[in-house]
Amino acid sequence: MTVAPRAKKKGFAAWIGKESTAGYVFSLPFIFGFLMFMAIPMGLSLYYSFCKYDIQSAPTWIGLDNYIKIFTNDSTFTKALTVTCYYALIGTPLKVIFALIVALILNHESKAVPIYRATYYLPSIIGGSVAVAILWRRLFESNGTINAIFGGILPFLDGYNWFSEGPAIWVLIILTVWQFGSSMLIFLSALKQIPRELYEASRVDGATGHQQFWHVTLPLLTPTIFFNLVQQTINSFLAFTQCKLITNGDPRKSTLFYTVYQYNKAFPAVGKSQMGYASALAWIMLVIITVVTAILFWSRSKWVYED
Amino acid sequence: MKKVCSLVLSIVLLVTLALPALADGLTVGTYDPASAGATEVGFAWWGNQVRDEVTKAATDFFTENYPNITFNLNTNVWNNYWALMTTYSANHDLPDLMQQDYAYLELWANNGSLLDLTPYVESGALDLSNVPQNIIDTGKVGDGIYAVCAGVNAPSLLYNKTLTDKLGIEVPKNLTWDQFVEISRKIYEAEGIGAVYGEGNSENMPTFYARSLGYTSLWTAEGLAPTAEEMAGYYQRLIDGVAEGWMFDTDKIAGVNVTDLAQHPLVYGTSNDVRSWCAFAFSNQISAFQTAATADGIELGLTNWASSDPVASNYVKPSQFFSVTTDAENPDLAVAILNYLINDVEGNKILQAERGIPASSAVASAIADSMDSVNPTYSMTVEYLEYVTANSSPIFSALPSFVGTVQTEVLQTLSEECLTKGTSMTAAEAAQMLVEQTAEIAADY
Repeated sequence: MTVAPRAKKKGFAAWIGKESTAGYVFSLPFIFGFLMFMAIPMGLSLYYSFCKYDIQSAPTWIGLDNYIKIFTNDSTFTKALTVTCYYALIGTPLKVIFALIVALILNHESKAVPIYRATYYLPSIIGGSVAVAILWRRLFESNGTINAIFGGILPFLDGYNWFSEGPAIWVLIILTVWQFGSSMLIFLSALKQIPRELYEASRVDGATGHQQFWHVTLPLLTPTIFFNLVQQTINSFLAFTQCKLITNGDPRKSTLFYTVYQYNKAFPAVGKSQMGYASALAWIMLVIITVVTAILFWSRSKWVYED
Repeated sequence: MKKVCSLVLSIVLLVTLALPALADGLTVGTYDPASAGATEVGFAWWGNQVRDEVTKAATDFFTENYPNITFNLNTNVWNNYWALMTTYSANHDLPDLMQQDYAYLELWANNGSLLDLTPYVESGALDLSNVPQNIIDTGKVGDGIYAVCAGVNAPSLLYNKTLTDKLGIEVPKNLTWDQFVEISRKIYEAEGIGAVYGEGNSENMPTFYARSLGYTSLWTAEGLAPTAEEMAGYYQRLIDGVAEGWMFDTDKIAGVNVTDLAQHPLVYGTSNDVRSWCAFAFSNQISAFQTAATADGIELGLTNWASSDPVASNYVKPSQFFSVTTDAENPDLAVAILNYLINDVEGNKILQAERGIPASSAVASAIADSMDSVNPTYSMTVEYLEYVTANSSPIFSALPSFVGTVQTEVLQTLSEECLTKGTSMTAAEAAQMLVEQTAEIAADY
């Protein structure tokens, strides 16, 4: 069979007919979104971080001044960073462990299991929302539901002030642990992929359920644990809504998340915006997250089982 | 029959004649909003539940009269309001009308966000003939009029009168700081109810304190007016109050909500240890506070903020302003609506003087009789304002633009430190930091 020679098209018609053109057109929504909402804003924020910029008037170039001030003369930066690290380093492992435990419990064949899975996943969907933050604040008020329910068992909770310095950060940590759903789903699917033969073989070798967990399940789950850990750590460093709405950093900045500090610099309740300074804070956070993630990846070879 | 006919005819005639008069029955100045075509007008304010309701009702009333004009209303609590407006202004997307504050008027006028209303006043489009000159002047920046006072108020201590009556405590006029401390101690001992004072980022309390020392303003162009030694007295109040237990410390403040008026410990909270017997507020806020307090069967009273020299400290102030922004698409229309808000009697009846006593004396007296039924605290407020007018000192001039940053970065931190139980900071240290850091920020602005 011979292919009839086609008339060679020229100009626009030729261009539009090209496969590469179609490719560009189809990826245009992404390219547009990426430029508008990622690349350009990031470029601008990098530029602003070297400027004094109050949004309402034009930015003026001040070089490294913002960065110098952050590292040498800003105790709130240190405080906010400490609080955020505390939150990330305590909250994330707790959340991952909790998700793993619930996933193990739910990894049974039963008709009720899908309902439980959906129920436990629910907090993750609504967890970051404004409504839950407000609800959370109400739950932990001195005369709120938590104290009312548990006050009977633990008398010291009667009228206990959860929002005082010390416990306040735990109100936020408990909220993040409560949103374990997405990690749990990932664990569940990973659990399903562990070959049955391994369990059968180990049972033949006389392993108890306990031993099976430590020597079969857990090692095979380490890649998933690693994935969840990385993802949740990054999420923790970027947490915002909970802090802004539940404590707003109070009391005495003891719950001031880095992102909220940054937001308060960019959009202060009163006074001029310090958008340049806030942009510099954002870029420092980017570097911190990169370093933390790099450390996690470096540690991978030490504890993650890969075949 | 003929008589009846002519009567009917004359009624019809009267009604038809009256109709156009009804249609432009609102006091809007020289511009006719009906000629604007279908327009949506943006209007933003900070406030509370009562203010939101009455302002919406007043704009609805406007729309009833001019169906071509609709409103896009935007309300927020104080702290969120300014952040939001700053963002809008960056994008030149401010609402046509915005509520402004005495403290930040200069900053906003100078950055070009507000329209100079002088030409409109001169042309008669904006009628300020019934507003006293000294009140008009409060809206001036340089030679331009950038804002019109929406109502007049004065700092006032709102207190739980039901409680003080029960305990047989009399809260006097010209309340001094020592009397305030004594009352607070008594109430705390008897009921375990405390007092919220000096928290957050507000410059109001330090200003009131500085005025009792003889300064008009807390600020100069370069920084702080009083010396560190003088300001130490203020921080000592916080440290002592917390040590004695009756003043809310930072932990207690974190557990309550002092920024949302409806949840302020004066009017909200089921147990005494999260309640305050008073709130350092402004006289116009009593209507919203009273609305929230009524649910608990609490009647509120008002007196001045405690000061060792109440007459030197106290002042009468424009509670807030209305400004037309430079982003307004139809400034003539925005000015007409502003004129309605300031001069229309019916409109002001709907607004219930919640923003303070109307700046127009004609309006204030025209609405006085009908206020008692809608706003039971009105006569009390009027009486208090008359009293303050006779027992106060001239108000400070608008705040230098660096003050906002000092509030968030210095005042807030220092009040938190001094209000912490067992704080390691001394009053002298706090005052020293206040003076130094304020000067530093002012120099860098």
